Amino acid sequence: MTRIEILDELKKVFAPYTTNKEMLNSINDDTDLIRDLKINSANLVDIIIDAEAKYNIEIDYDSADKIINVGTCIDVIMEKLNQNK
Amino acid sequence: MTSAGNDIVCLNATDITRTKQYRFYSKILSNTEKELYKENAFAAIPFENFVWLLWSVKESAFKYLQRNNPGLVFIPVKFIVQQLRVPGGFALTKYETTKTEGTGFDDNQVIQSIVTFGDATLYSMSLMHNDFIHSVVNNNEDFKNTCWGIKTIERNDPYYQSTAVRSFLLNRLNLHFRMDDLAIGKNLQGVPIVLKENEVLPIPVSLSHHGCFVAYSFISRF
Repeated sequence: MTRIEILDELKKVFAPYTTNKEMLNSINDDTDLIRDLKINSANLVDIIIDAEAKYNIEIDYDSADKIINVGTCIDVIMEKLNQNK
Repeated sequence: MTSAGNDIVCLNATDITRTKQYRFYSKILSNTEKELYKENAFAAIPFENFVWLLWSVKESAFKYLQRNNPGLVFIPVKFIVQQLRVPGGFALTKYETTKTEGTGFDDNQVIQSIVTFGDATLYSMSLMHNDFIHSVVNNNEDFKNTCWGIKTIERNDPYYQSTAVRSFLLNRLNLHFRMDDLAIGKNLQGVPIVLKENEVLPIPVSLSHHGCFVAYSFISRF
């Protein structure tokens, strides 16, 4: 699975938690989940759980620590997918 | 280190079913906090409210520490609520008004806690109704110089929430400091700051919004 494929899928994961649909369609590695997508911090746990379910991975605390923007979110998902191989 | 931290959770904007799922609350509560809920003192508080109470305490503590540590990332389980004191006879009630502002807290009405993050120890005061949970933290047990406010708003889109919470805080700041030209901005790290004619004033403020609630806290003397 490539970074671009994960990025496209993440748009669906983020969609229920952001009203900024215009920004959602143009996200890139630097897009900040809270500042740019205006996702409420209370929904960050929802996003981690939705991503875990989608990719059948577990995102532990230390990995969650790295998730700041879309790019680091993709990094963590790719790292966990590689560990499952 | 003077700072400010507050958080509001609109309970109607949370998913009760999901909150009760182990997978969800285990990303918020540590093992010791899960055990804490079994104490009799929390009988009047539904588990989902307990989860969001601790969330609000932890997020407030995160905001308090982030002002002086901009690289900090919020991982709820790394903030540990060590003690939680619920007032005797506590019962959940509906929020019957649209705005509440205060300085300090009436100990008989608030849920008090101690929260730690690494070597840092912070103290929190939380108000809980059926509709929301609001927490404010400080680095000591004395909240007499802590000003705070909670308000309901008509719309829950991010732009409206952001504008409403700034306006709510500014009204209080202008009244408190007897000025009429203060402004709220954000520094490069995204932390809220108070400006007067583009000069940053040393007033630590904290903003929060969720669903149809906005809230603030600031230190009135420092």
